[in-house]
Amino acid sequence: MDIPQIKQQFDRELASAASEAAVRALRDKYLARKGGVASNLLRDVASAPAGERPALGKLANELKQYIDTQLTERLAAAAARRPAGETVDVTLPGRAPALGHRHPLTLLRERIEAIFLRFGFLIVEGPELEDDYHNFEALNMPADHPARDMQDTLYLASPVTSAVGSPATLLRTHTSGMQVRYMEKFPPPVRLIAPGRVYRRDDLDLTHSPMFTQVEGLVVDEGVTLADLKGTLFAFAHELFGPERRTRFRPSFFPYTEPSGELDISCASCRGAGCAMCKNTGWIEVLGSGMVHPAVFEAVGYDSEKYTGFAFGVGIERLALLKWGIEDIRLFYENDLRFLEQFPL
Amino acid sequence: MRLVYPWLCELVKVPGDPESVATTLALRGFEVASIEHGRQPVIDFEITANRPDCLSTIGLAREASAAYGVPLRMPDRAMPAPGNGPSVDVAIEDADLCPRYCAQVFEVGIGTSPAWLQERLEAAGVRPINNVVDVTNYVMLEMGQPMHAFDLARLGGRALRIRRAKPGEKIRTLDGVERTLDGDMLVIADAARPQAVGGVMGGADSEIDAKTTSMVLESAYFTPASVRRTSKRLALKTEASTRFERGADVDAPPVGIARAAALLHQLGAARPVGRIVDRYPAPRPPVTLALRGARLTHVLGLQVPADDVPRILTPLGFTVSPSDRGGAGWQVEVPTYRVDVQREIDLVEEVARHYGYDRVPATFPALASPQAPPDARTLQDRLVRQVLTACGFSEATTFTFIEQQAAAPFADGAEPAALANPLSEKFAVLRPSLLPGLVDACAYNRRRERRDVRLFETGARFGPAGEARAVAFAWCGAGSVPNWSAATRPVDFFDVKGVVEALCGAMGATPAFEPATRSYLVPGRTAQVLDGSGDGARAIGVVGQIQPAILDARGFPAAEPIYAAELDLDALAALGAGDIQRAEPLPRFPAIVRDLSILVDDGLPAAAVRGTIRRAAPPTLVQLAEFDRYRGKGIPEGRVSLSLRLTFRSSERTLTDAEVDEAMTRVVAALEASHGAQRR
Repeated sequence: MDIPQIKQQFDRELASAASEAAVRALRDKYLARKGGVASNLLRDVASAPAGERPALGKLANELKQYIDTQLTERLAAAAARRPAGETVDVTLPGRAPALGHRHPLTLLRERIEAIFLRFGFLIVEGPELEDDYHNFEALNMPADHPARDMQDTLYLASPVTSAVGSPATLLRTHTSGMQVRYMEKFPPPVRLIAPGRVYRRDDLDLTHSPMFTQVEGLVVDEGVTLADLKGTLFAFAHELFGPERRTRFRPSFFPYTEPSGELDISCASCRGAGCAMCKNTGWIEVLGSGMVHPAVFEAVGYDSEKYTGFAFGVGIERLALLKWGIEDIRLFYENDLRFLEQFPL
Repeated sequence: MRLVYPWLCELVKVPGDPESVATTLALRGFEVASIEHGRQPVIDFEITANRPDCLSTIGLAREASAAYGVPLRMPDRAMPAPGNGPSVDVAIEDADLCPRYCAQVFEVGIGTSPAWLQERLEAAGVRPINNVVDVTNYVMLEMGQPMHAFDLARLGGRALRIRRAKPGEKIRTLDGVERTLDGDMLVIADAARPQAVGGVMGGADSEIDAKTTSMVLESAYFTPASVRRTSKRLALKTEASTRFERGADVDAPPVGIARAAALLHQLGAARPVGRIVDRYPAPRPPVTLALRGARLTHVLGLQVPADDVPRILTPLGFTVSPSDRGGAGWQVEVPTYRVDVQREIDLVEEVARHYGYDRVPATFPALASPQAPPDARTLQDRLVRQVLTACGFSEATTFTFIEQQAAAPFADGAEPAALANPLSEKFAVLRPSLLPGLVDACAYNRRRERRDVRLFETGARFGPAGEARAVAFAWCGAGSVPNWSAATRPVDFFDVKGVVEALCGAMGATPAFEPATRSYLVPGRTAQVLDGSGDGARAIGVVGQIQPAILDARGFPAAEPIYAAELDLDALAALGAGDIQRAEPLPRFPAIVRDLSILVDDGLPAAAVRGTIRRAAPPTLVQLAEFDRYRGKGIPEGRVSLSLRLTFRSSERTLTDAEVDEAMTRVVAALEASHGAQRR
């Protein structure tokens, strides 16, 4: 048998060797020291005429080398596929590490903070207990001001020391008191957000809670305008809700801002056509805002002719209800793990 | 404010349907609550507290007039010729609470109102009663001026005194309730007693009824703050008080009388008798404000064309004249019904409102210098959340105010701070600790068959020193995540202690633990957490098992333990940690590890054994870890077998077995000497 023929035959047989055992059988057939095809071939070389011997020997050796390499590779590949010891049922569940979830209100708050950090805002925190001056009076809401009804207040039975060490008489109805404190302490420019819990005397029901979370913002400098407020709010809304939502800015009233305005975004569930969620208006109210009232600047000793500024306040629960289609605000405070664990880590 | 659409159209020919009017006014600051279609379409507007003038059809018509550029046509307000007869005598005794009071006597024939009037009132949400009362309500809805009719025959005499109530004076109001007044409340009284609570509600004794033939019609201006206080104190909110407390129009009282008289005449219901009485002891001069064109641009960030300013303000009732004082601008006289317009900035808003917020460009405020980093507390809270969620705890949000019974056990003897006006007993006191909220949250989950719960919260708590920040966590059920391959064990003290150690470590503290007692934690399973990095004296928290009696009271099975901890975030922040000074080079020489098993008394704290070993061993002892603690078979009663692993390493050279053997000998000797330990 000539050498190319043997090689062809080997290739054929190797290709059709389906199992590891078949490959091993081929190894015996071709490479067995006694009676192996390749071994026989080498023996035949010895009996060849002397002149042909070196060339024939080289070819025979090359063939034996080739067969050996091929078989070794095949056997190694088969060995790699063979399990080392017992097999496992890979469809059984893995051993889960314990991983907790942040509260959805935190999740949203941190997203909002991240947006305003990119906008160059400082984050400040303030006391939850406040005095009447910082919560109301300095914000253009003197005693008996009708706007106080907008923020029905929870009062303390007797004064308690607040986190900033001052005697407090009430639970803050917004985080604006922190802004007043900041302006009392630092001159302009100011560019900050103040997130935190706030409290109002509202019964707990589907859409109201006596405790909720707010992020309020304040920007004061020379030359800050209503146009800057509108631009900032639109940029924020598009970051948080997506660039495809339409935005609308319309007049409103808050005692500490003038002019005041509210930001609306187009309703996600009806895409602006009008539905129950948006009270058939096609718009959803997101937040209240306005240009800081000169009376507020006067209360903190800022020059209201030289400086202008804007302020805004957004309720995180409200945003969360809108964003995740949650229908009952109480879910945020019940701490049912079946609810909490739905939110991304 | 329910705006009746056909009524509006009578005053302003609006070129649009109710939807168009709703949207147009919504974009000018009047939020729409709903639109109702039907024979009398109604747009329900939410009127902001600064715009009492728009609690009236004319007020909203004026806005529509300015918005659409269509003129406003006022209704007939001509006073019919009065008949002869005496009028009433009015004396304002407390002008600070009632700056203006008008009264007119009428001869009346009480009957029902015509259908058109009844329909309009009903559409506006007011129940028709009789022609006289209906007309007063109609005028209020039309022009925003509340009025009140007294039955003259039921008054004691023909003199009205506008005075403060005498403390304890009583009146039965129209709703049939007898009310006790205080000395700050204003009343309209006859010679003997109060007949109305000024600006809030009339009295039942002088109420108009079918037999009335002669009446006094009141149209007054009451001081907003006074009406607000009275209404709050009496817990009596009326259509009248809502308007007066926000600020009515001081010029409206005589106009209101005239309008009512015209309507009553038209209905054939009443005829004025005698002169109108108008008491206005200190007439208020008109308010004139300067509006600078430059200020307008400065605040709005856009150039409003000069012609637009009078075009916008005039239909709203402002009298605008150009002025060159201090640059181009205007002198603007404010109509008396615009109580919200008090300074230049209010005019800026008026212009912006009707110029259109949609035409304001969207720009971004310039940033001149880099911003400071966020509040350290914000960053600390984030770190806490990172560590605790990684430890398997989900974040809870519980109420800051809780039940007195829930709070008391955690106040450690102090009285929790109470709210003066809580919504209910459930929200009565400020939480002295975050733990009661977490216990309730565990109970809530447990009642829903969720047995394995790990929850944490960060936030404010309120102790004798006031408001402070804390983090707390609670753990009940399994000590590990259940899975198919192995049984779980229940959570125990060392699980929560481990979390405390991890959390303190993340914040750069080195916690030390010592046995402690807390009224809300099980004795013998309670430790105070101290910061061991400084002098070790500063308490930073507590860890332990919640008292089963508390669990029982909060609806959690008392037989199942909840382990919990609470740490003082302010104290941890004060340690000022969170980063390392420099990274240590990795060890270059091998370590030698020796295991040691000893028998000691069962009650001996592990910390004592550790301390002894540390003191006896050379500085080359770099690590010391307990790896077994065993009591039972083969161990004498009252003794325990402790196994420890000691790791020795030098940073300068390879240690020899001999020197480590010697160190171990010293350690064992010290343990024998100090604790009677026996090596096993």
